[in-house]
Amino acid sequence: MYGKGIVKGLWVTLKHIWGTYAKDIKRFPRRYAPGGIAKRTDYDLYGLFTLQYPEERYEMFPRFRGALMHLRNPETGEPNCTACGACERACPHGVISLEGEGKGKDRKVTAYRYDLGRCIFCRLCVESCNFNAIELSREYELSRYKKDFILELDDLLKIGDKYGIHKTGEAWGVTE
Amino acid sequence: MQVLDDLWIRIAVWFRGLLESFLPPWAVQLTMDVLGILLLIVLGIVVVLAFTYMERKVIARVGDRIGPNRAGPFGIFQAIADAIKMLTKEDVTPTNADRWLFLAAPIVVIIPAVLLYAVLPLGRGMVGVDLNIAVVFVVAMGGIPILTMLMAGWASNNKYALLGAFRTVAQLISYEVPMVVALLTVVLLAGTMSTVGIVEAQASFPFALVTPVAFVVYMLAGLAELNRTPFDLLEADSEIVAGYFIEYSGMKFAMFFLAEYINLFMVAGMITTLFLAGWQWPILPSWLWFLIKVVLVIFLMMWIRATFPRFRIDQMLGFAWKALVPLSLINLFLVALVAKVLEPGWVRTGVLFVSNLALLAGAIAIMAQVARKREERARAAGEAAIKRYYGSEVR
Repeated sequence: MYGKGIVKGLWVTLKHIWGTYAKDIKRFPRRYAPGGIAKRTDYDLYGLFTLQYPEERYEMFPRFRGALMHLRNPETGEPNCTACGACERACPHGVISLEGEGKGKDRKVTAYRYDLGRCIFCRLCVESCNFNAIELSREYELSRYKKDFILELDDLLKIGDKYGIHKTGEAWGVTE
Repeated sequence: MQVLDDLWIRIAVWFRGLLESFLPPWAVQLTMDVLGILLLIVLGIVVVLAFTYMERKVIARVGDRIGPNRAGPFGIFQAIADAIKMLTKEDVTPTNADRWLFLAAPIVVIIPAVLLYAVLPLGRGMVGVDLNIAVVFVVAMGGIPILTMLMAGWASNNKYALLGAFRTVAQLISYEVPMVVALLTVVLLAGTMSTVGIVEAQASFPFALVTPVAFVVYMLAGLAELNRTPFDLLEADSEIVAGYFIEYSGMKFAMFFLAEYINLFMVAGMITTLFLAGWQWPILPSWLWFLIKVVLVIFLMMWIRATFPRFRIDQMLGFAWKALVPLSLINLFLVALVAKVLEPGWVRTGVLFVSNLALLAGAIAIMAQVARKREERARAAGEAAIKRYYGSEVR
């Protein structure tokens, strides 16, 4: 019958209007609350898909490659890094430069500079590390107000403290 | 309930009494009239703010988006923020524009829009003027914006604006005809041209049930008069950029925008008044019923806008002259015949309802037949062309 398509089209759009409101009611206090939305588990084409960025953020998957972070020894609370320089040699871009002091087992890192602006997140530094000292975090909001993209050791340790892991690949469920 | 029903009228009477205590009678009358006019204008602006917000929300929800939600809770101040933006924008007049016409067009477009509110019955006893020729007034005032659009298009000295104006004028004049005939059907049934009288005539049955054909025709023609999708050819962004108001900016553009939404409320209000029994229906206060029905009609229009693509210009004019005009004329004859033969009541309503549905079905069947024939002809022409190109064999 002629005109059936008109009714069908109206029905489709009505379902979409209704779908968004029905889903909104289902998770009512979360959507507009400051805490953001619960993770969406029903992917059935209806409901809102918009993520309102500053209030709501995506949780990145475990193998996401974000900014570099330094890990601590859980017992002493000191950085695992021994300033061996393996990461510095492995880096294809010269992103990392470091200084250390002491000999043998006492060797400690004193300065570690990581140039975020040149990093390509290849993870070669992490693979070269033998002391579970560094890992790529899931930080992705890396923009800065100035051209200062260099992160010092303290900044890297601060990022590492957020994730609470002590071994390379721990967040992946793989420890070497 | 009775108190709520008469709420606004009681406020008006109380205020009049207050004024009479210290003003001479002529001053009281003048104050009340000026206040009434101001109230209607304020109503117009409130309507614009409310329905732009609603439109953006509805269209957003159809697209699984959120819509405005930054200015205020749930974004309710978005329309006000837009209004402030419009007011503070630079007002540009093109160098070669016809300056006075260019200035006059946005002012002239808004006056008839606000004037129309005078005859809209917003509730029991709540009407600006109970004109006995209100329907004629509505049609006459509805004709003025057509002139304004041509004024704006011509004065801009811009070929897209002029093209947009031509399209709009062709469209509006074409759809005026079925609209007036549909109005005439209602007037025939009600036996009066006063909007209040028409509402009172629908005490037992809304005219949407009595003549669904007139309702559908009026709805479609109203959409076309408002230049809304699927008849929004004048704003067709991909073809003529923005239509007749392309050169307007700042407050002058805002005037066209205001007029558009004031007219939206007006057409929805007329549909409510003429076909959905206006402020009648039990339990809720009359003005609330009117508002609910108007919002529902406007929602229907937004829903249609969110669903359908726009017509091509020849399809649109063809639809008006070949489908809507004959359909509404046949319906007019049918209603006149039945209204003459039968007494008002259940039987007449039933006969009219059934015959109208049959008419609608027949019209759709004929349109389907025509569309099928046209498709067959196009296919045959295409096949013939292929045959000519490749020789006898069709691949």
